[in-house]
Amino acid sequence: MKSVIDWDSQNAAANRLGGVGIGLRAPHYRELLARERCTDWLEAHSENYFGDGGYDLHVLTRLRERYPISLHGVGLGLGSAAGYSTGHLQRLAALVRRIEPALVSEHLCWGAVDGRVLNDLLPLPMTRAALELMCGRVAEMQDTLQRQVLVENVSSYVRFAGDDYDEAGFLNELARRSGCGILLDVNNLYVNQLNHGADAAAQIDAIAPEHVGEIHLAGHLVTELAVIDHHGARVTEAVWALYERAIARCGCIPTLIEWDTDVPQLDVLIDEAGRAQQRCAARSNCDVRAA
Amino acid sequence: MSVPLDRLQADFAAALVDSSAASTVVPALAGKDARVLDRLALYRGNVSAAWEKALANAYPVVRALVGDEFFSGLARAYGRAHPSVSGDLNRFGARFAEFIDGFEHTRTLPYLGDVAALEWSVHAAHYATDPVALTRERIAALPPDELLMARFALHPACAWLRSPFPVASIWLAHQPQATVALPDTIDRGEIALVVRPLWRVEVLLSSAGELAALARLREGADLEAVITAGLQADAEFAFPKALVRWLDCAVLVEPPAEAAS
Repeated sequence: MKSVIDWDSQNAAANRLGGVGIGLRAPHYRELLARERCTDWLEAHSENYFGDGGYDLHVLTRLRERYPISLHGVGLGLGSAAGYSTGHLQRLAALVRRIEPALVSEHLCWGAVDGRVLNDLLPLPMTRAALELMCGRVAEMQDTLQRQVLVENVSSYVRFAGDDYDEAGFLNELARRSGCGILLDVNNLYVNQLNHGADAAAQIDAIAPEHVGEIHLAGHLVTELAVIDHHGARVTEAVWALYERAIARCGCIPTLIEWDTDVPQLDVLIDEAGRAQQRCAARSNCDVRAA
Repeated sequence: MSVPLDRLQADFAAALVDSSAASTVVPALAGKDARVLDRLALYRGNVSAAWEKALANAYPVVRALVGDEFFSGLARAYGRAHPSVSGDLNRFGARFAEFIDGFEHTRTLPYLGDVAALEWSVHAAHYATDPVALTRERIAALPPDELLMARFALHPACAWLRSPFPVASIWLAHQPQATVALPDTIDRGEIALVVRPLWRVEVLLSSAGELAALARLREGADLEAVITAGLQADAEFAFPKALVRWLDCAVLVEPPAEAAS
Protein backbone atom coordinates (compact mmCIF):
# COMPACT_ATOMS: atom_id res chain seq x y z
CA MET A 1 0.00 0.00 0.00
CA LYS A 2 2.99 2.31 0.51
CA SER A 3 3.30 4.87 -2.29
CA VAL A 4 6.31 4.72 -4.54
CA ILE A 5 7.08 8.41 -4.66
CA ASP A 6 10.26 10.32 -5.25
CA TRP A 7 9.79 12.50 -2.23
CA ASP A 8 13.42 13.57 -2.17
CA SER A 9 13.06 15.90 -5.13
CA GLN A 10 9.74 17.07 -3.74
CA ASN A 11 11.21 17.86 -0.36
CA ALA A 12 14.21 19.61 -1.87
CA ALA A 13 11.89 21.94 -3.75
CA ALA A 14 9.63 22.67 -0.82
CA ASN A 15 10.29 25.57 1.47
CA ARG A 16 10.94 24.30 4.96
CA LEU A 17 8.67 25.16 7.81
CA GLY A 18 9.27 25.29 11.55
CA GLY A 19 8.21 27.05 14.72
CA VAL A 20 4.70 28.21 15.57
CA GLY A 21 2.25 29.37 12.91
CA ILE A 22 -1.26 30.77 12.87
CA GLY A 23 -4.32 30.06 10.76
CA LEU A 24 -4.88 32.47 7.87
CA ARG A 25 -8.36 34.02 8.11
CA ALA A 26 -9.93 36.65 5.86
CA PRO A 27 -10.38 39.31 8.60
CA HIS A 28 -6.56 39.40 8.94
CA TYR A 29 -5.69 39.67 5.23
CA ARG A 30 -5.05 43.41 5.15
CA GLU A 31 -3.01 43.49 8.34
CA LEU A 32 -0.87 40.50 7.33
CA LEU A 33 -0.17 42.08 3.95
CA ALA A 34 0.72 45.42 5.55
CA ARG A 35 2.79 44.20 8.51
CA GLU A 36 6.30 42.93 8.77
CA ARG A 37 6.56 39.19 9.19
CA CYS A 38 4.81 38.43 12.48
CA THR A 39 4.53 34.64 12.66
CA ASP A 40 6.70 31.70 11.63
CA TRP A 41 4.23 30.35 9.06
CA LEU A 42 0.62 30.43 7.97
CA GLU A 43 -1.89 27.65 7.53
CA ALA A 44 -4.62 28.16 4.94
CA HIS A 45 -7.76 26.08 4.58
CA SER A 46 -7.25 24.66 1.09
CA GLU A 47 -10.88 24.89 -0.02
CA ASN A 48 -10.98 28.66 0.58
CA TYR A 49 -8.51 28.97 -2.31
CA PHE A 50 -10.09 26.60 -4.81
CA GLY A 51 -11.28 29.47 -7.04
CA ASP A 52 -9.75 29.97 -10.49
CA GLY A 53 -8.61 33.41 -9.36
CA GLY A 54 -9.84 36.36 -7.35
CA TYR A 55 -8.88 38.16 -4.16
CA ASP A 56 -8.41 35.23 -1.76
CA LEU A 57 -5.98 33.47 -4.06
CA HIS A 58 -4.23 36.78 -4.76
CA VAL A 59 -3.71 37.34 -1.02
CA LEU A 60 -2.43 33.81 -0.45
CA THR A 61 -0.01 34.16 -3.37
CA ARG A 62 1.31 37.44 -1.95
CA LEU A 63 1.66 36.05 1.57
CA ARG A 64 3.40 33.00 0.14
CA GLU A 65 6.26 35.33 -0.82
CA ARG A 66 6.76 36.16 2.87
CA TYR A 67 5.65 33.09 4.81
CA PRO A 68 5.94 29.33 4.48
CA ILE A 69 2.43 28.03 3.86
CA SER A 70 0.68 24.88 5.07
CA LEU A 71 -2.41 23.85 3.09
CA HIS A 72 -4.91 22.23 5.42
CA GLY A 73 -7.84 20.53 3.71
CA VAL A 74 -11.25 20.30 5.34
CA GLY A 75 -13.32 18.92 2.48
CA LEU A 76 -11.74 15.86 0.91
CA GLY A 77 -13.32 13.34 3.27
CA LEU A 78 -10.59 10.72 2.83
CA GLY A 79 -12.63 8.10 4.68
CA SER A 80 -15.89 8.42 2.72
CA ALA A 81 -16.63 4.89 1.49
CA ALA A 82 -18.99 6.24 -1.19
CA GLY A 83 -19.22 9.74 -2.62
CA TYR A 84 -15.46 10.34 -2.47
CA SER A 85 -14.48 12.94 -5.08
CA THR A 86 -11.29 12.63 -7.09
CA GLY A 87 -12.31 15.97 -8.66
CA HIS A 88 -11.79 17.56 -5.25
CA LEU A 89 -8.35 15.96 -5.06
CA GLN A 90 -7.55 17.34 -8.54
CA ARG A 91 -8.50 20.86 -7.45
CA LEU A 92 -6.26 20.46 -4.41
CA ALA A 93 -3.44 19.26 -6.69
CA ALA A 94 -3.82 22.40 -8.83
CA LEU A 95 -3.61 24.59 -5.70
CA VAL A 96 -0.56 22.69 -4.46
CA ARG A 97 1.17 23.25 -7.81
CA ARG A 98 0.35 26.94 -7.61
CA ILE A 99 1.30 27.60 -3.98
CA GLU A 100 4.07 25.02 -3.47
CA PRO A 101 3.24 24.73 0.24
CA ALA A 102 5.66 23.43 2.85
CA LEU A 103 3.00 21.09 4.26
CA VAL A 104 -0.24 19.54 3.07
CA SER A 105 -2.66 17.99 5.53
CA GLU A 106 -6.14 16.49 5.77
CA HIS A 107 -8.25 14.73 8.40
CA LEU A 108 -8.89 11.24 9.62
CA CYS A 109 -12.58 11.48 8.82
CA TRP A 110 -15.29 11.01 6.25
CA GLY A 111 -17.78 13.55 4.90
CA ALA A 112 -19.85 12.24 2.02
CA VAL A 113 -22.21 9.50 0.92
CA ASP A 114 -23.49 8.76 -2.54
CA GLY A 115 -25.20 11.95 -3.79
CA ARG A 116 -24.62 14.12 -0.72
CA VAL A 117 -21.66 15.87 0.88
CA LEU A 118 -22.20 16.68 4.57
CA ASN A 119 -19.37 19.24 4.81
CA ASP A 120 -18.33 18.11 8.27
CA LEU A 121 -15.40 16.17 9.70
CA LEU A 122 -17.26 13.00 10.67
CA PRO A 123 -15.65 10.27 12.77
CA LEU A 124 -14.61 6.93 11.32
CA PRO A 125 -14.98 3.66 13.15
CA MET A 126 -11.47 2.65 14.21
CA THR A 127 -11.72 -0.67 12.40
CA ARG A 128 -9.49 -2.70 10.12
CA ALA A 129 -11.89 -1.99 7.22
CA ALA A 130 -11.65 1.76 7.79
CA LEU A 131 -7.86 1.48 8.01
CA GLU A 132 -7.73 -0.37 4.68
CA LEU A 133 -9.83 2.34 3.06
CA MET A 134 -7.75 5.17 4.57
CA CYS A 135 -4.46 3.57 3.52
CA GLY A 136 -5.65 3.40 -0.09
CA ARG A 137 -6.98 6.94 -0.10
CA VAL A 138 -3.88 8.42 1.52
CA ALA A 139 -1.69 6.57 -0.99
CA GLU A 140 -3.79 7.97 -3.85
CA MET A 141 -3.58 11.47 -2.36
CA GLN A 142 0.19 11.26 -1.96
CA ASP A 143 0.63 9.87 -5.47
CA THR A 144 -1.53 12.62 -6.94
CA LEU A 145 0.22 15.40 -5.02
CA GLN A 146 3.62 13.74 -5.35
CA ARG A 147 4.40 14.42 -1.72
CA GLN A 148 3.82 13.24 1.80
CA VAL A 149 0.67 14.45 3.50
CA LEU A 150 -0.17 14.70 7.20
CA VAL A 151 -3.41 13.23 8.55
CA GLU A 152 -5.06 14.81 11.60
CA ASN A 153 -7.09 13.19 14.37
CA VAL A 154 -10.54 14.78 14.72
CA SER A 155 -12.78 15.51 17.68
CA SER A 156 -16.09 13.71 17.80
CA TYR A 157 -19.43 13.66 19.59
CA VAL A 158 -19.97 9.94 19.13
CA ARG A 159 -17.84 6.82 19.08
CA PHE A 160 -18.50 3.55 17.31
CA ALA A 161 -19.00 0.27 19.09
CA GLY A 162 -16.53 -2.49 18.28
CA ASP A 163 -13.40 -0.51 17.38
CA ASP A 164 -10.28 -2.53 16.59
CA TYR A 165 -7.88 0.32 17.46
CA ASP A 166 -7.70 3.40 19.60
CA GLU A 167 -6.94 6.65 17.73
CA ALA A 168 -3.19 6.57 18.33
CA GLY A 169 -3.01 2.93 17.23
CA PHE A 170 -5.00 3.68 14.09
CA LEU A 171 -2.88 6.72 13.19
CA ASN A 172 0.38 4.89 13.86
CA GLU A 173 -0.68 2.05 11.60
CA LEU A 174 -1.91 4.42 8.90
CA ALA A 175 1.40 6.31 8.96
CA ARG A 176 3.46 3.10 8.95
CA ARG A 177 1.58 1.58 6.05
CA SER A 178 0.93 4.62 3.82
CA GLY A 179 4.02 6.68 4.59
CA CYS A 180 1.91 9.67 5.64
CA GLY A 181 2.71 11.79 8.66
CA ILE A 182 0.51 12.50 11.65
CA LEU A 183 -0.92 15.92 12.46
CA LEU A 184 -1.59 15.61 16.16
CA ASP A 185 -4.42 17.86 17.32
CA VAL A 186 -3.91 18.01 21.07
CA ASN A 187 -7.13 19.91 21.66
CA ASN A 188 -9.09 17.24 19.78
CA LEU A 189 -7.58 14.55 21.99
CA TYR A 190 -8.67 16.51 25.04
CA VAL A 191 -12.17 17.13 23.66
CA ASN A 192 -12.50 13.40 23.02
CA GLN A 193 -11.35 12.69 26.55
CA LEU A 194 -14.15 14.86 27.88
CA ASN A 195 -16.69 13.50 25.40
CA HIS A 196 -15.81 9.80 25.56
CA GLY A 197 -13.41 9.30 28.42
CA ALA A 198 -10.52 8.42 26.10
CA ASP A 199 -7.36 9.29 28.07
CA ALA A 200 -5.63 12.04 26.03
CA ALA A 201 -2.30 11.70 27.83
CA ALA A 202 -2.27 7.97 27.15
CA GLN A 203 -2.96 8.67 23.47
CA ILE A 204 0.01 11.05 23.33
CA ASP A 205 2.19 8.47 25.07
CA ALA A 206 1.12 5.85 22.52
CA ILE A 207 1.67 7.91 19.37
CA ALA A 208 4.75 7.03 17.30
CA PRO A 209 6.79 10.25 17.59
CA GLU A 210 8.76 9.66 14.39
CA HIS A 211 5.55 10.06 12.37
CA VAL A 212 4.27 13.25 13.98
CA GLY A 213 4.93 16.23 11.68
CA GLU A 214 2.75 18.95 13.14
CA ILE A 215 0.67 19.81 16.20
CA HIS A 216 -2.59 21.76 16.26
CA LEU A 217 -3.75 23.81 19.24
CA ALA A 218 -7.12 25.51 19.64
CA GLY A 219 -9.80 26.45 22.12
CA HIS A 220 -12.97 24.49 22.78
CA LEU A 221 -16.41 25.12 24.22
CA VAL A 222 -17.83 23.12 27.12
CA THR A 223 -21.61 22.65 26.88
CA GLU A 224 -24.00 20.48 28.85
CA LEU A 225 -24.42 18.02 26.02
CA ALA A 226 -20.83 17.73 24.83
CA VAL A 227 -17.54 19.56 24.46
CA ILE A 228 -17.40 21.31 21.12
CA ASP A 229 -14.20 21.84 19.23
CA HIS A 230 -15.24 25.32 18.08
CA HIS A 231 -11.81 26.97 17.66
CA GLY A 232 -13.19 30.14 19.16
CA ALA A 233 -11.21 30.69 22.38
CA ARG A 234 -7.78 30.62 23.98
CA VAL A 235 -6.06 27.28 24.49
CA THR A 236 -6.97 25.96 27.93
CA GLU A 237 -4.46 25.09 30.67
CA ALA A 238 -5.29 21.40 30.37
CA VAL A 239 -4.48 21.49 26.65
CA TRP A 240 -1.24 23.40 27.27
CA ALA A 241 -0.22 20.64 29.68
CA LEU A 242 -0.94 18.05 27.00
CA TYR A 243 1.06 20.13 24.52
CA GLU A 244 4.05 20.07 26.86
CA ARG A 245 3.66 16.31 27.07
CA ALA A 246 3.48 16.05 23.27
CA ILE A 247 6.59 18.14 22.60
CA ALA A 248 8.47 16.27 25.31
CA ARG A 249 7.73 13.13 23.30
CA CYS A 250 7.86 14.37 19.71
CA GLY A 251 10.22 17.36 19.90
CA CYS A 252 9.40 20.96 19.04
CA ILE A 253 7.69 20.21 15.79
CA PRO A 254 5.74 22.82 13.79
CA THR A 255 2.74 23.95 15.84
CA LEU A 256 -0.37 25.83 14.76
CA ILE A 257 -2.75 28.09 16.65
CA GLU A 258 -6.22 27.63 15.10
CA TRP A 259 -9.01 30.15 15.55
CA ASP A 260 -12.10 29.97 13.32
CA THR A 261 -15.07 31.21 15.35
CA ASP A 262 -15.31 34.84 16.55
CA VAL A 263 -11.89 35.52 15.04
CA PRO A 264 -10.09 37.99 17.34
CA GLN A 265 -7.47 40.63 16.55
CA LEU A 266 -4.36 39.28 14.86
CA ASP A 267 -2.28 40.17 17.92
CA VAL A 268 -4.30 37.74 20.07
CA LEU A 269 -3.26 34.90 17.76
CA ILE A 270 0.33 36.09 17.77
CA ASP A 271 0.26 36.22 21.57
CA GLU A 272 -1.14 32.69 21.70
CA ALA A 273 1.59 31.54 19.31
CA GLY A 274 4.11 33.13 21.69
CA ARG A 275 2.83 30.93 24.51
CA ALA A 276 3.53 27.86 22.41
CA GLN A 277 6.99 29.22 21.56
CA GLN A 278 7.76 29.73 25.26
CA ARG A 279 6.88 26.12 25.96
CA CYS A 280 9.13 24.98 23.14
CA ALA A 281 11.98 27.16 24.41
CA ALA A 282 11.53 25.82 27.92
CA ARG A 283 11.81 22.25 26.76
CA SER A 284 15.39 21.20 27.36
CA ASN A 285 17.49 20.31 24.31
CA CYS A 286 14.78 21.69 22.09
CA ASP A 287 15.53 20.42 18.62
CA VAL A 288 13.45 22.49 16.26
CA ARG A 289 12.66 19.95 13.61
CA ALA A 290 11.61 21.30 10.28
CA ALA A 291 8.80 19.46 8.58
CA MET B 1 -22.37 -7.29 14.16
CA SER B 2 -20.17 -5.68 11.56
CA VAL B 3 -22.04 -3.34 9.22
CA PRO B 4 -20.11 -2.56 6.01
CA LEU B 5 -18.55 0.92 6.11
CA ASP B 6 -20.57 2.32 3.20
CA ARG B 7 -23.82 1.17 4.81
CA LEU B 8 -22.76 2.54 8.20
CA GLN B 9 -21.95 5.94 6.68
CA ALA B 10 -25.22 5.98 4.72
CA ASP B 11 -27.15 5.37 7.96
CA PHE B 12 -25.11 8.02 9.77
CA ALA B 13 -25.69 10.54 6.96
CA ALA B 14 -29.43 9.86 6.97
CA ALA B 15 -29.50 10.69 10.68
CA LEU B 16 -27.81 14.04 10.01
CA VAL B 17 -30.30 15.14 7.36
CA ASP B 18 -33.50 13.94 9.01
CA SER B 19 -34.01 13.33 12.75
CA SER B 20 -36.68 10.71 12.08
CA ALA B 21 -34.02 8.54 10.42
CA ALA B 22 -31.62 8.74 13.39
CA SER B 23 -32.50 5.48 15.12
CA THR B 24 -31.03 3.21 12.41
CA VAL B 25 -27.41 4.11 13.14
CA VAL B 26 -27.73 4.13 16.95
CA PRO B 27 -26.91 0.41 17.53
CA ALA B 28 -23.55 0.92 15.78
CA LEU B 29 -22.55 3.66 18.22
CA ALA B 30 -21.11 3.35 21.71
CA GLY B 31 -22.97 4.68 24.74
CA LYS B 32 -26.54 5.01 25.95
CA ASP B 33 -29.13 5.48 23.20
CA ALA B 34 -30.55 8.75 24.56
CA ARG B 35 -27.12 10.35 24.75
CA VAL B 36 -26.14 9.07 21.31
CA LEU B 37 -29.31 10.59 19.84
CA ASP B 38 -28.55 13.93 21.51
CA ARG B 39 -25.02 13.84 20.15
CA LEU B 40 -26.26 13.01 16.64
CA ALA B 41 -28.49 16.07 16.92
CA LEU B 42 -25.32 18.15 17.44
CA TYR B 43 -23.97 16.86 14.12
CA ARG B 44 -27.34 17.55 12.50
CA GLY B 45 -27.07 21.12 13.77
CA ASN B 46 -23.53 21.39 12.34
CA VAL B 47 -24.73 20.27 8.93
CA SER B 48 -27.55 22.80 8.72
CA ALA B 49 -25.28 25.50 10.19
CA ALA B 50 -22.80 24.81 7.38
CA TRP B 51 -25.59 25.20 4.79
CA GLU B 52 -26.71 28.45 6.38
CA LYS B 53 -23.20 29.86 6.68
CA ALA B 54 -22.35 29.05 3.07
CA LEU B 55 -25.61 30.51 1.76
CA ALA B 56 -25.32 33.60 3.98
CA ASN B 57 -21.85 34.17 2.55
CA ALA B 58 -23.08 34.00 -1.04
CA TYR B 59 -26.50 35.60 -0.53
CA PRO B 60 -26.20 38.49 1.99
CA VAL B 61 -28.87 40.59 0.24
CA VAL B 62 -31.43 37.76 0.14
CA ARG B 63 -30.72 37.26 3.83
CA ALA B 64 -31.20 40.95 4.60
CA LEU B 65 -34.47 40.95 2.63
CA VAL B 66 -36.05 37.98 4.43
CA GLY B 67 -34.43 38.33 7.87
CA ASP B 68 -32.08 35.92 9.68
CA GLU B 69 -34.74 33.62 11.07
CA PHE B 70 -36.55 33.06 7.80
CA PHE B 71 -33.21 32.67 6.04
CA SER B 72 -32.27 29.82 8.43
CA GLY B 73 -35.41 27.96 7.48
CA LEU B 74 -34.84 28.66 3.81
CA ALA B 75 -31.28 27.30 4.10
CA ARG B 76 -32.51 24.09 5.78
CA ALA B 77 -35.18 23.56 3.14
CA TYR B 78 -32.67 24.19 0.36
CA GLY B 79 -30.03 21.90 1.89
CA ARG B 80 -32.50 19.02 2.09
CA ALA B 81 -33.81 19.57 -1.44
CA HIS B 82 -30.45 20.24 -3.11
CA PRO B 83 -27.69 18.28 -1.37
CA SER B 84 -24.25 19.78 -1.26
CA VAL B 85 -22.21 17.93 -3.88
CA SER B 86 -18.78 19.35 -3.11
CA GLY B 87 -16.39 19.44 -0.17
CA ASP B 88 -15.89 23.06 -1.19
CA LEU B 89 -18.77 24.94 0.44
CA ASN B 90 -18.20 27.94 -1.82
CA ARG B 91 -19.89 25.83 -4.51
CA PHE B 92 -22.98 25.23 -2.38
CA GLY B 93 -26.01 27.25 -3.40
CA ALA B 94 -25.75 27.22 -7.19
CA ARG B 95 -29.48 26.43 -7.52
CA PHE B 96 -30.74 28.72 -4.76
CA ALA B 97 -32.43 31.17 -7.17
CA GLU B 98 -34.27 28.36 -8.91
CA PHE B 99 -35.27 26.91 -5.53
CA ILE B 100 -36.59 30.26 -4.29
CA ASP B 101 -38.65 30.67 -7.49
CA GLY B 102 -40.40 27.39 -6.75
CA PHE B 103 -40.69 27.78 -2.96
CA GLU B 104 -44.24 28.46 -1.78
CA HIS B 105 -43.25 30.52 1.27
CA THR B 106 -41.42 33.17 -0.79
CA ARG B 107 -44.21 33.74 -3.32
CA THR B 108 -45.00 37.10 -1.74
CA LEU B 109 -41.49 38.26 -2.69
CA PRO B 110 -41.53 37.69 -6.47
CA TYR B 111 -38.20 39.52 -7.00
CA LEU B 112 -36.29 37.36 -4.49
CA GLY B 113 -35.27 34.70 -7.03
CA ASP B 114 -33.75 37.30 -9.36
CA VAL B 115 -31.89 38.93 -6.46
CA ALA B 116 -30.48 35.48 -5.65
CA ALA B 117 -29.49 34.92 -9.29
CA LEU B 118 -27.64 38.24 -9.28
CA GLU B 119 -25.88 37.38 -6.01
CA TRP B 120 -24.71 34.04 -7.42
CA SER B 121 -23.16 35.92 -10.38
CA VAL B 122 -21.44 38.23 -7.89
CA HIS B 123 -20.23 35.21 -5.90
CA ALA B 124 -18.88 33.50 -9.04
CA ALA B 125 -17.20 36.75 -10.13
CA HIS B 126 -15.30 36.83 -6.84
CA TYR B 127 -13.57 33.53 -7.76
CA ALA B 128 -13.11 34.14 -11.50
CA THR B 129 -9.62 34.11 -13.03
CA ASP B 130 -7.51 37.26 -13.15
CA PRO B 131 -6.71 38.07 -16.79
CA VAL B 132 -5.07 41.41 -17.57
CA ALA B 133 -7.84 43.82 -18.53
CA LEU B 134 -7.57 46.06 -21.59
CA THR B 135 -6.41 49.58 -20.86
CA ARG B 136 -7.35 52.89 -22.42
CA GLU B 137 -3.79 53.06 -23.75
CA ARG B 138 -4.23 49.80 -25.62
CA ILE B 139 -7.34 51.15 -27.35
CA ALA B 140 -5.79 54.58 -27.96
CA ALA B 141 -2.84 52.92 -29.69
CA LEU B 142 -5.09 51.30 -32.29
CA PRO B 143 -5.10 53.11 -35.68
CA PRO B 144 -8.63 54.52 -36.24
CA ASP B 145 -9.29 52.27 -39.24
CA GLU B 146 -8.45 49.18 -37.14
CA LEU B 147 -10.60 50.07 -34.16
CA LEU B 148 -13.85 48.99 -35.77
CA MET B 149 -12.33 45.69 -36.85
CA ALA B 150 -10.91 44.91 -33.40
CA ARG B 151 -12.26 41.93 -31.47
CA PHE B 152 -12.04 41.53 -27.72
CA ALA B 153 -13.25 39.08 -25.10
CA LEU B 154 -15.17 39.58 -21.88
CA HIS B 155 -13.53 39.31 -18.47
CA PRO B 156 -14.58 35.96 -16.94
CA ALA B 157 -16.08 37.81 -13.96
CA CYS B 158 -18.43 39.76 -16.25
CA ALA B 159 -22.08 38.66 -16.20
CA TRP B 160 -25.50 40.23 -16.52
CA LEU B 161 -29.08 39.71 -15.53
CA ARG B 162 -32.20 41.13 -17.17
CA SER B 163 -35.03 41.18 -14.65
CA PRO B 164 -38.62 42.46 -14.57
CA PHE B 165 -37.71 43.79 -11.12
CA PRO B 166 -35.23 46.51 -10.05
CA VAL B 167 -32.61 43.94 -8.95
CA ALA B 168 -29.55 46.14 -9.43
CA SER B 169 -31.05 48.90 -7.27
CA ILE B 170 -32.09 46.41 -4.60
CA TRP B 171 -28.55 44.97 -4.53
CA LEU B 172 -26.92 48.41 -4.48
CA ALA B 173 -29.17 49.67 -1.68
CA HIS B 174 -27.96 46.81 0.53
CA GLN B 175 -24.24 47.51 0.20
CA PRO B 176 -22.26 49.11 3.02
CA GLN B 177 -22.15 52.87 2.50
CA ALA B 178 -24.91 52.54 -0.10
CA THR B 179 -25.70 55.71 -2.00
CA VAL B 180 -28.70 54.13 -3.69
CA ALA B 181 -32.04 54.03 -1.85
CA LEU B 182 -34.30 51.00 -1.98
CA PRO B 183 -36.58 51.36 -5.02
CA ASP B 184 -40.06 52.64 -4.10
CA THR B 185 -41.68 50.23 -6.54
CA ILE B 186 -40.80 46.73 -7.69
CA ASP B 187 -42.76 47.17 -10.92
CA ARG B 188 -39.80 48.39 -12.89
CA GLY B 189 -37.41 46.11 -14.76
CA GLU B 190 -33.63 46.53 -14.65
CA ILE B 191 -30.57 45.07 -16.26
CA ALA B 192 -27.72 44.42 -13.84
CA LEU B 193 -24.13 44.19 -15.04
CA VAL B 194 -21.58 42.38 -12.83
CA VAL B 195 -17.99 43.52 -13.18
CA ARG B 196 -14.78 43.06 -11.20
CA PRO B 197 -12.33 45.93 -11.59
CA LEU B 198 -9.26 44.66 -9.71
CA TRP B 199 -10.60 42.53 -6.82
CA ARG B 200 -13.90 44.00 -5.69
CA VAL B 201 -17.02 42.85 -7.49
CA GLU B 202 -19.41 45.64 -8.47
CA VAL B 203 -22.94 45.70 -9.84
CA LEU B 204 -23.81 48.38 -12.40
CA LEU B 205 -27.12 49.43 -13.82
CA SER B 206 -27.03 48.55 -17.50
CA SER B 207 -29.22 49.20 -20.55
CA ALA B 208 -30.68 47.19 -23.41
CA GLY B 209 -28.18 48.76 -25.82
CA GLU B 210 -25.16 47.98 -23.67
CA LEU B 211 -26.38 44.45 -23.07
CA ALA B 212 -26.91 43.76 -26.79
CA ALA B 213 -23.45 45.15 -27.51
CA LEU B 214 -21.77 43.02 -24.83
CA ALA B 215 -23.64 39.92 -25.99
CA ARG B 216 -22.27 40.41 -29.54
CA LEU B 217 -18.81 41.10 -28.16
CA ARG B 218 -18.93 37.85 -26.20
CA GLU B 219 -19.76 36.01 -29.42
CA GLY B 220 -16.48 37.25 -30.89
CA ALA B 221 -17.88 39.98 -33.15
CA ASP B 222 -15.75 42.97 -34.16
CA LEU B 223 -16.49 46.40 -32.66
CA GLU B 224 -18.45 47.53 -35.71
CA ALA B 225 -20.92 44.68 -35.22
CA VAL B 226 -20.93 45.36 -31.48
CA ILE B 227 -21.91 49.00 -32.05
CA THR B 228 -24.58 47.97 -34.59
CA ALA B 229 -26.09 45.49 -32.13
CA GLY B 230 -26.15 48.18 -29.43
CA LEU B 231 -27.88 50.70 -31.70
CA GLN B 232 -30.40 48.15 -32.95
CA ALA B 233 -31.43 47.40 -29.37
CA ASP B 234 -31.45 51.05 -28.31
CA ALA B 235 -31.18 54.01 -30.69
CA GLU B 236 -29.74 56.05 -27.80
CA PHE B 237 -26.83 53.64 -27.24
CA ALA B 238 -23.68 55.76 -26.88
CA PHE B 239 -20.73 53.56 -27.74
CA PRO B 240 -17.87 55.90 -26.68
CA LYS B 241 -19.41 56.26 -23.23
CA ALA B 242 -19.95 52.49 -22.97
CA LEU B 243 -16.38 51.78 -24.09
CA VAL B 244 -14.92 54.07 -21.43
CA ARG B 245 -17.02 52.36 -18.77
CA TRP B 246 -15.96 48.90 -19.98
CA LEU B 247 -12.31 49.91 -19.82
CA ASP B 248 -12.68 51.48 -16.37
CA CYS B 249 -14.45 48.39 -15.02
CA ALA B 250 -12.14 45.77 -16.55
CA VAL B 251 -14.91 44.32 -18.74
CA LEU B 252 -12.67 43.76 -21.76
CA VAL B 253 -9.68 41.45 -22.11
CA GLU B 254 -7.60 40.31 -25.07
CA PRO B 255 -9.35 37.61 -27.10
CA PRO B 256 -7.98 34.07 -27.18
CA ALA B 257 -4.88 33.94 -29.42
CA GLU B 258 -6.53 32.15 -32.37
CA ALA B 259 -9.29 34.78 -32.61
CA ALA B 260 -7.00 37.78 -32.30
CA SER B 261 -6.48 38.59 -35.97
